[in-house]
Amino acid sequence: MTQTNIKEKIFADLYSEQEKFLFPKDVRAKSVKLFYKSDIPDNKTENWRKFNSKPIFDHHYKLGKKLNFDTSVFDTLSFFEPESNRIVLTNGYYNENASEKKTDEIFIGSLKNAEKKQKEIIEKYLRKTKNKNPDYFSVLNDAYVKDGAFIYVPDNVKLEKPIYILHFIQSDNGNIFSQNRNLIIAGKNTSFKVIHTFHSLSSDFSFNNTVTDICLDDDAQAEYYLFEGEGNTAAHVNRININSEKGSSFKSNVITFCGSVVRNNFHADFFGEHAEIDLKGIYMPDKEQQVHNFINISHSKPNCRSNQLFKGLIDNKAVSVFTGKVFVARDAQKTDSAQSNQNLLLTDYARAHSRPQLEIYADDVACSHGSTTGQLDKEALFYMKTRGISEKKAKTMLMNAFLKDVTTHISEGSYRNYVNFLINKRLKGQHPESLCNIKVCPSC
Amino acid sequence: MLSIKDLKAEIDGKEILKGINLDVKPGEVHAIMGPNGSGKSTLASVLAGRDIFKVTGGKIEFKAKNLLNLNPEERSREGIFLAFQYPIEIPGVSITNFMRAAVDEHRKHRGLDPMNASKFLRYMKEKKALVELDAKLEGRAVNEGFSGGEKKKNEVFQMAMLEPDLAILDETDSGLDIDALKVVANGVNKLKTKDNATIVITHYQRLLDYIVPDIIHVLYNGRIVKTGGRELALELEKYGYDEIKKEADKQF
Repeated sequence: MTQTNIKEKIFADLYSEQEKFLFPKDVRAKSVKLFYKSDIPDNKTENWRKFNSKPIFDHHYKLGKKLNFDTSVFDTLSFFEPESNRIVLTNGYYNENASEKKTDEIFIGSLKNAEKKQKEIIEKYLRKTKNKNPDYFSVLNDAYVKDGAFIYVPDNVKLEKPIYILHFIQSDNGNIFSQNRNLIIAGKNTSFKVIHTFHSLSSDFSFNNTVTDICLDDDAQAEYYLFEGEGNTAAHVNRININSEKGSSFKSNVITFCGSVVRNNFHADFFGEHAEIDLKGIYMPDKEQQVHNFINISHSKPNCRSNQLFKGLIDNKAVSVFTGKVFVARDAQKTDSAQSNQNLLLTDYARAHSRPQLEIYADDVACSHGSTTGQLDKEALFYMKTRGISEKKAKTMLMNAFLKDVTTHISEGSYRNYVNFLINKRLKGQHPESLCNIKVCPSC
Repeated sequence: MLSIKDLKAEIDGKEILKGINLDVKPGEVHAIMGPNGSGKSTLASVLAGRDIFKVTGGKIEFKAKNLLNLNPEERSREGIFLAFQYPIEIPGVSITNFMRAAVDEHRKHRGLDPMNASKFLRYMKEKKALVELDAKLEGRAVNEGFSGGEKKKNEVFQMAMLEPDLAILDETDSGLDIDALKVVANGVNKLKTKDNATIVITHYQRLLDYIVPDIIHVLYNGRIVKTGGRELALELEKYGYDEIKKEADKQF
């Protein structure tokens, strides 16, 4: 099948839709054209090495509709605090009944239906990120996305409680294609946390194409927690654009729990000095799942810090790919950048690809990178067993210890407990889809 | 308690133990001495159930059970404890969690419920005091960043926690200064009862000044070539292993 055929077959619904798209006509026209010209990335595309798009393009999807949403689902999400600000999206659409705004200090809501005043703000910030390093899926998103979440925290606002963006795949009949575009704006000298989670309420095949733009103004401090748990039949391409102004601090933590193929694309750029970007992540693919973390950090300004720590437990015949690009411009002196990727292969068939890529043009910088891939420490296992600890328990303890470097940095207690709970269940041998598909996980 | 008959073991096809015979009764302290490479540590590893060694012949009975049928964790729960020559560092696993898991498994094996948290912490504190372990353990990972002395003390602390019937101390004296050696030996002596037994594996007789054995065996080239009382250690200290080696080489 040719690529054009694939596009027409897979995304047939898109073109027949009469509903308005998020971006204006002229912008869209360009993106549509670009989308038709571009090819599905494969192993030959440098930034997408080892990416196998088959789990995405093997199915025919229907465009997800806006369906009735039963908020009792919240009861299954133990990290969720009902008294907090929340945006609920289903199949990419803003759900006004389930969403709730609790504080007047901030703007949250639908990106598409933002008020006129906010529209100007949105325009201003989106201009910053648009069309930078576009890829096949971000262009698809540009062209056909309809809605998503919008969070604007105005200057000097500091929030204790997290803001939630909860995304649910919902199917009434058949496979779902869903897109969403989110924008998070941190005003000057703000401080807040966002917990952004993805779940599925169906076991039909789904493909979720997400783009989230995060803009941090001067001295803003934001923590961003991403949880991907849509289940074994879900494909997810998730692009996160981070734009950091001077003195800002961005800390993110992505837990990729399951998915047929999940690709996280982080594109981060420093626009001012003394800013900090910290990206951490855990991935635990099982079966024949693929998890890709692609990171592209651009140190365009001096005196900035970036840190990457990604850890993976790869089970069965699963594959993980980590690509960590760090670009340091000629003027970006005193850059401090660290990168670490560690993988534990739990079977003989599991595979981990790790590709650190440093491109450094400044001469007074500290850039480190390290990558390890191995198996559980046999010596430690034997030592534990000689104390009477069973093999299974010992393995669980070692795997937990391995992931701890990442999970301990989750500052939001209830969310950290949720993540640890799922990890523990998982390490005890429960299959991820039984945990992720929240319908069948009453204890979560 | 422990009865080893004609035990043979190899690693990668190379025979290390060539027919060991050893009987240990409750209340006894045995010392196994011998030159480097004689098979002392291999014997300890085989008793603990390390799978890189292949047992090719002989029998080991422990409390009337065939030890060779048990995996390492079962041996531990049955009452065997190996203090490692080189204790393993386990980053990310706290000593408290580690000991808690171990003690729980031992209790389960004896049909007891797990201890509650406060009771367990009290128990840990008690045992720490018993073996004079003054290092702060809470929140530290198992052996991570420990000095040589701390690691060995930690082994004795674990032994105190698990109260084994048979403790095997593999070169526990190696790398210890005299003060640490005394603390370690003191701990071992305090744990001694008329019902448990200890096998002390050492290269030097120095440790035996502090842990006094009832019986001393000399292991050479995979066999116990000489067995005697306390005086044997002093003899070895004076004349070295050469005499015994010569005799043994003639015999085999």
